[in-house]
Amino acid sequence: MINFPHTQSAHCESGVAANLMGEKNIPMTEAMAFGLGAGLFFGYFPFIRINGLPLVTYRAAAGQILKRIGQINGVKITEKRFRRPDQAMTALDQAIENGIPVGLQTGVFWLPYFPRALRFHFNAHNLVVYGKEGDEYLISDPVFPTPVRCHAKDLARARFASGALAPKGKMYYVAEVPEKIERRPLIIGGIRSVCKMMLGSPFPLIGIRGIRFMANRLAKWPERLGKERADLHLGHVVRMQEEIGTGGGGFRFMYSAFLQESGKELDEPALLESASALTASGDRWRQFAVMAARICKDRPRQGDSYDVMADMIRECASFEEKVFEELNRWLKQ
Amino acid sequence: MKTSNNDTEKDIANNIKTVSYTSDADGNQKPVSGSYWQPVNVVNHQAWREIEKQIENSKEKIRAGRVSCLHYYMTANQMSVGLLASYTGQSSLLVRLHLLPFIFTRLRRETLQIYADLFKIEVEDLIEGILKPPLYQQGENGKVQGNRNID
Repeated sequence: MINFPHTQSAHCESGVAANLMGEKNIPMTEAMAFGLGAGLFFGYFPFIRINGLPLVTYRAAAGQILKRIGQINGVKITEKRFRRPDQAMTALDQAIENGIPVGLQTGVFWLPYFPRALRFHFNAHNLVVYGKEGDEYLISDPVFPTPVRCHAKDLARARFASGALAPKGKMYYVAEVPEKIERRPLIIGGIRSVCKMMLGSPFPLIGIRGIRFMANRLAKWPERLGKERADLHLGHVVRMQEEIGTGGGGFRFMYSAFLQESGKELDEPALLESASALTASGDRWRQFAVMAARICKDRPRQGDSYDVMADMIRECASFEEKVFEELNRWLKQ
Repeated sequence: MKTSNNDTEKDIANNIKTVSYTSDADGNQKPVSGSYWQPVNVVNHQAWREIEKQIENSKEKIRAGRVSCLHYYMTANQMSVGLLASYTGQSSLLVRLHLLPFIFTRLRRETLQIYADLFKIEVEDLIEGILKPPLYQQGENGKVQGNRNID
C-alpha cells in the first residue's frame, strides 16, 4: 500500500496539490500551493444562481491551482476523464495497484463520510485515493483531520455527480517531477496572475471592481428583495466566504500566509508588508461576517445594517486595492 | 484574525476539526485546527432552515395532491428538475411530468426503479408514497440516523 503523507489543510484543491507534491518529495505547504496556483480571486455573478442565490466566489475557478502547478517546468500531471463509471473505477484501481496516489474530483453530496450538514451539491471537491481494502477506498481528504474510507459504490457516484462543474470521473496524478523547483519565478508568476485578476479586469464583476459592485448591490437587498430574501442572500455571501475550505476570511488569510512564506524565502520585506495588509483586509471581511451573522440570526445590535455592511465591504475593496497595487509595484522592480 | 472561539453553539459539522488560518502573536498566519467558526454555523443553520422549509412546503403540496411524492424526494435531496433529469438520464420535461400525481401513479416499475436507485429507497416507497429521509440522513446501511442537530 502507498504510504501517503496526509496533511490536513483548509482548502481541498491546494491541500491535494500540496499533498501530492509532498508525496513526490517536493515539500510544499498548502498556502504555497495556493499562491503558486494563483488561487485568490473575487467574483460576483448574479446571473449564475446556486439554489436561487447569486454566485459569489473568493477564489479562482475550480481546477486552476492544479492546472498552474501542472505547468511548472518539469512537473507533469496526467489528467483523465471518463465516460462510464466502470472504466473510471478500473483505471483508478489500476493506478493504485501501481502505487500511484490518485487525485479525484468528486461531488460532495455523494460522499457519506462528510458531515450531513455539509452535503450540498458541490461538484469540485478534490481528494486523494491512496489504497483499497475490499470494497472500500482509503482516502486522504485534505479537509479532514485523518484519512477516511469510502465505499466503492458511493465513490463512483461522487465521481459522476451531475450538475454544475460535473467531474465526469476526472482523475489525475503527478507523473513527473523535477529534482528541484526554483520557486522565485513561480512565486512571481503566481502573484502576477492574481494582481491581474484583482486589478486589471475589464469586467465589472471581477476583482476589486467586483467587490465594490457586490457592496452596492448588498446595500439595496433589503428594499429590493424584502427582509427574508435579503437575509438569505447575505447568509449565502458569508457562507461562500467562511465555509469549510476557505481557511477563513474568504481565502485572504491563506494568501497572506503564502505572501509571508514567500517573503521570508526570497528575503523580500515588501511581500511581508503586503501580507499584513491583506490580513487586515481578511479581518475586515470577518467583521462583516460577524455582523451579517447577527442580522441573519435576527439579533442585530445597534448600528448593524446593510448600509454599514456595504461600507465594510467597500473598505475591504480599498484595502485589497492597495495591497495588489503594492504587489504590482514590487513585480515591476 | 485573532479569535479564540469558545462559543458552544451546536456545531453544524458534527464537531469536525477543520483547519483555518490564524495569526499568531508575531502576526504570522498559520493553519490551525479547530472547530467551526461560529458565524459560519449561524449562516449554515440558516441555509438548512430554508431547505427544511422547502421540504415542509413540498409535503404540504403532496398532502393536497398537487404533486407526486417524487417532488418530496427531489426537494429533500436538494435537487432541481434539471439536476434530477440529468441524474436519471431523462429530459427535464419528462421529470416535470412525473411530478404530476396523475402521471406518476401510472409510471412503469422500471421507471420508478431509476428513481428508487438514485434516492436509495424501494420502489414500493414510491408507489405507496412513503416519504423516507433524504440521502444525507441515511446511515451506511440505509438506516436513519437520529438527532439532527441542525436548528
